[in-house]
Amino acid sequence: MELRRRQALTGAGGIALGGLMPGLAFGQGAPQRGGTLTVQIVGEQRVLNPAIQASTGVYVMASKMVEPLVDLDAAGEPTGVLAERWDSAPDGLTHTFHLRRGVTWHDGKPFTSKDVQFSAMECWKKILNYGTTLYLFLEAVETPDEHTAVFKFSRPMPQGLLLRALPDLGHVIPAHVYEGADIRANPANTAPIGTGPFKFVEYQRGQYLLAERNPNYWRGNGLPYLDRIVWRFISDRAAAAAAIESGQVQFSPYSGLSLSDIARLSKDARFTVGTKGNEGNTAHTVCEYNLRRKELSDVRVRRAIAHALDLDFFVENFLFGYARLGTGPIPSSSAPFYVPRPAPYPFDKARAEALLDEAGYKRPSRNGQRFAQPLKLLPAPWGEYTLNFATFIQQSLREIGIRVEIEARDAPGFLTGVYRNHDFDLTTGWHQYRNDPAVSTTVWFRTGSPVGAPWTNQYGYDNPEMDRTIDAAATELDPARRKSLYQDFVKLAIDDLPVHMAVEHAFISVYSKRLMNSHTNPRWASSSWADAWLAPA
Amino acid sequence: MKALRAYLRSPAGIIGAVLLIAVIAAALSADALFPRDPLALAGRPLQWPGANPRLPLGTDNLGRDIAGFLFHGARVSLLIGLVASVVAVGIGVLVGAVAGFYGGWVDDLLMRITEAFQTVPNFILLLVLVAVFGSELSVITIAIGLVGWTAPCRLVRAEFLSLRNREFVLAARGLGMRDMPLILGEVLPNALPPVIVYASVVMAIAILLESALAFLGLSDPNIASWGNMIGAGRSVLRTEWYVSAIPGAAILVTVLAFSLVGQGLNDALNPRMQVL
Repeated sequence: MELRRRQALTGAGGIALGGLMPGLAFGQGAPQRGGTLTVQIVGEQRVLNPAIQASTGVYVMASKMVEPLVDLDAAGEPTGVLAERWDSAPDGLTHTFHLRRGVTWHDGKPFTSKDVQFSAMECWKKILNYGTTLYLFLEAVETPDEHTAVFKFSRPMPQGLLLRALPDLGHVIPAHVYEGADIRANPANTAPIGTGPFKFVEYQRGQYLLAERNPNYWRGNGLPYLDRIVWRFISDRAAAAAAIESGQVQFSPYSGLSLSDIARLSKDARFTVGTKGNEGNTAHTVCEYNLRRKELSDVRVRRAIAHALDLDFFVENFLFGYARLGTGPIPSSSAPFYVPRPAPYPFDKARAEALLDEAGYKRPSRNGQRFAQPLKLLPAPWGEYTLNFATFIQQSLREIGIRVEIEARDAPGFLTGVYRNHDFDLTTGWHQYRNDPAVSTTVWFRTGSPVGAPWTNQYGYDNPEMDRTIDAAATELDPARRKSLYQDFVKLAIDDLPVHMAVEHAFISVYSKRLMNSHTNPRWASSSWADAWLAPA
Repeated sequence: MKALRAYLRSPAGIIGAVLLIAVIAAALSADALFPRDPLALAGRPLQWPGANPRLPLGTDNLGRDIAGFLFHGARVSLLIGLVASVVAVGIGVLVGAVAGFYGGWVDDLLMRITEAFQTVPNFILLLVLVAVFGSELSVITIAIGLVGWTAPCRLVRAEFLSLRNREFVLAARGLGMRDMPLILGEVLPNALPPVIVYASVVMAIAILLESALAFLGLSDPNIASWGNMIGAGRSVLRTEWYVSAIPGAAILVTVLAFSLVGQGLNDALNPRMQVL
């Protein structure tokens, strides 16, 4: 029994890490029109407007209806969607987008540069999370004609950064629907009107979202192939696995099933299981330290905690091999910025204990506690990774004489407790890397995020050198120098360790082999699905 | 003595007592047999029972020793059952006795309050209490007691209503006995047998409520409770079902033990049964 299990685990790990999909050998044939694709969604979003809320949970539904200026192609390079082409001034202050002609909104009105101007200035710059920092120095979007939008920045904006940010932070919404009223209160936020291949039909809270084929889609050529997409909200992972197996659901994106079910289904010939098509959404399972706590303000204590975690064991046994050790805030999937390096804090219990002794927190007795008060750990309630990691930290720190008390909270309680009230000592969460470190990674380290902004530096970490490095990299136009500045950033992040990017994992997709032309780009679940089709059952 | 003999005549009571003694023995011997912290990492997660002689019941998906967890969990379950039923029966007896003994507007007022509690499903009320006051073990135990007091209250009230006009009560009153000694010394002892029987049911319910909370991930994650392990095992239910099944069986045995003991007590204390 034991042997079988081990073999299964290494097999599953190989698929996950190598991203080698045997599924592509499956006969593709000519695309067929028709059919309904049903997708499982774990957590419901109250907003379906990707121009005001950046989240994979929004994109996985809304980006089929609302499109960005730019998306990524199969090789991970920017490719035009609503923008046909672009050019940038050498000083990096002006970026001109030439927009696609003959595109109409779902309500029949034409798509023009005014829509881009409105989305950028009113939504991306003012409301969109991450957008408010990325577009901080966006001064104006000029519209010399209906098909040209000129972005004017007051500080240099690297073209590469802008193009890699736009797939996530560049969705265009219709100005004529939103203008002159409170954007956040607009009913179109839950009934989106876009230019995408699918048109919104119905949203039943807690049950499903339904979209149907847009017959006037600008790509033509019979696209999209699917007639309908249904997103079903199934938060119970066991029920979702049953729905996939019975064929009621064809696709479970973003690790929507439990890891043990994922390992089980990876051996089922009816399904494709893997991380391919999710490379653009790499995440870290992290341990954040609250530097306001006296003991944790000492970097030696933080490093000791990192050394106390046997992450190889955790990845192999708790995560079924669907992950790898983190090497810093920039994940290995980020080809333009990643420089290979070893995991910075290898498991070393003796070193952990020595660091704690050195910091002045000796064990009073052989089994005594090093700290007067236990550490309070708030696990992010996002799923198995974060909850299991919390238990694993508790178990590991017990071995070096630090008691940890876990306090389980629901999502709003967690976000308020950690990011607004700072009422935690340790927390486990997810850091998501989005194609460029400046999109959603450096905010985890830079000072100045408003209190309450989730997934930002709220641990009281303040290093002026870090802030300078981040700012310099975000406005550096030379790609080689930019890359080298981000190496400085990674090194600082590892040395200061305000947050330990412990484990790196791509999300796992589970889908029926009937689903064709899928996972063809690095952020497929968040892309438009215009050319996906369903083979007959 | 007579009651004990009557108890031993009930087969259900004997089985219940044996099971209960086994659970208590497990709780008492937990530290001696499994000195390690039950929440600690004992080995590779998800080892099947019997696969590793060091871990007779295997490990759960967080690498914890299921056997050790089971024994230490018995303590938590017994503690919750005991304290919660003391709270529930304590409040129930107090309110029920006052309402039943005095009647009139006092009774009306207290019964409306009781009904207000009864109209809210007790698990929902428990969820609210835990959401507001947090999920520490002490909070959870008291909260379970607070949601369970209405049934013993009604029981005590009914007993008091039927007892307060009996001859022996009227006689005591006629002799000038004050209310307090009358309630505590005369009426309550005669009202207690059904309450004692019901207390065993409350204990069983308390254990189930804590397990249900833990199953939803809302119980105290820092204690070794059976429900916590079932909740953790839910994600591997299809492949490693034993992670949920073993603590589930433990809960079954414990709840069954309390119910059977309750039945045995009922047989022993019920005057109608004694006549037969």
